[in-house]
Amino acid sequence: MSSLGSGDSLCTRLEQFLSTLWNDKIRVHNLSRIPGGVSRETYRFDAQTNDGVQGLILRRDPVGSLIDTDRQVEFLAYKSFFGSVPVAEPVVLEPDSGPLERPFFIMKRIDGGVAARPFEREPYGLHAASIGAALFAHLGRIARSDPAALPLGQRLPSLEAASCWREALDHWEAIILRDERHPQPIVRAALRRLRRNPPPAAAKVSVVHGDYRSGNFLHDGQGHIKGILDWEMVHLGDPLEDLAWCCDPLWNHFDERRVAGTISEDAAIAIWERESGLRLDPEAFKWWRLFSTVKGQAIWTTAAKELLADNSNLALAISGYYPARRHDVIIADTLARLVEEGWR
Amino acid sequence: MTPTIPELLGACAAALSKPVRAEDAGAFADARLQTVATINLLVAQECATAVAVRLWENAALRAVLMQAATGYGAAFGEAAKIDDGELSLSALDEANFRLRRLLIRLHEAAEAAVDEAMDRKILALYRDMAERRTLTLPARPATKDV
Repeated sequence: MSSLGSGDSLCTRLEQFLSTLWNDKIRVHNLSRIPGGVSRETYRFDAQTNDGVQGLILRRDPVGSLIDTDRQVEFLAYKSFFGSVPVAEPVVLEPDSGPLERPFFIMKRIDGGVAARPFEREPYGLHAASIGAALFAHLGRIARSDPAALPLGQRLPSLEAASCWREALDHWEAIILRDERHPQPIVRAALRRLRRNPPPAAAKVSVVHGDYRSGNFLHDGQGHIKGILDWEMVHLGDPLEDLAWCCDPLWNHFDERRVAGTISEDAAIAIWERESGLRLDPEAFKWWRLFSTVKGQAIWTTAAKELLADNSNLALAISGYYPARRHDVIIADTLARLVEEGWR
Repeated sequence: MTPTIPELLGACAAALSKPVRAEDAGAFADARLQTVATINLLVAQECATAVAVRLWENAALRAVLMQAATGYGAAFGEAAKIDDGELSLSALDEANFRLRRLLIRLHEAAEAAVDEAMDRKILALYRDMAERRTLTLPARPATKDV
């Protein structure tokens, strides 16, 4: 077994932690890191208790990260939506670095599912339509939920509907300006255009997953979504932020006819409207579509910068490279189209 | 800026040189090798045209900036003095850094002046700049292991 800094392996430390937590003699088997995700290290493992075996997931803070996120907020997101949309059941949050060298949380594992890789072709095969229907229905349900009635609502700062766009834009613009290593005229032009053409106030302030897209859910290969993953960027905001991000061409699996490689945009919006109880404002959606490209470029800009500090991190290397190039094309196309449509 | 070619290949080398921990074996290690392969394929594409793309972009930026000097101020004419050095990628990127900064200033000025012709010209240039730096991922079958 590998050795951590203290001399105890991750496996041994997990056994110690869970034995204390559950007042039982716990054995950890099949501990294995899961690829993907750069905001947390994710591991799957089996915990052998006196009553049987539990499949679990460990999400541990990384040494360095693509984006700074709050693990407590992520944990509360799972608590908030467990039972209403498919998410893993949260088990325990440990903010202290002592047990596993870095803070972490544990949740129950969802077995029998796979996450599509973002840049593979036709990941859902014959089940694309049913996956799309479920994907946008679940997103509508998240938008419909009342944040004040959820554990998340107690933790996240409140927000005015009229401020959603500005909060979001200020946040990601600051990241671009902070982390940019080389002048990026294309995304800078998009930032200015977004400020000059603000959207109307949000129809409601909702929980926004923050990274809701193809590749961030488990499906069973038969058209069913088993778990929505990676809630580390969850926040309150305009629900159109998630819808636009999920519809961004970057996540379309190279299929321009279908969003998220699943169904047409019109069909996705119709499902989302039905489940959310909201009406999509097309003009507002245009703003959020362009915003999504800026948000993406901010994330890739940070990845390229963070790679300097963590120079063996391949997730940072690929994130700062390929999607950044694609998003520049998407932004340039979108800007040209919006100007033709009358944007100032 | 996206990571440089030395940074990308350096990341691959550093990742492959790290000892594999027991818990990193299996799917994580497989994904690491796939990512190394993907980065190498993309870097190979980039290398094939890297100098040509940068030479073209720098020339295109210089041309727009110099043309704008008449209406927007002599500072943009300074673009003529930004040369491509010894044509290494780092020299071309250094020139590109300075030219892009000027282009951002020019676009801001054009927007402030509501100069639609210049705005559209720059937007079209962005399209060309982005297209010429496009990378193509190899086709990959869908993940099947449920």
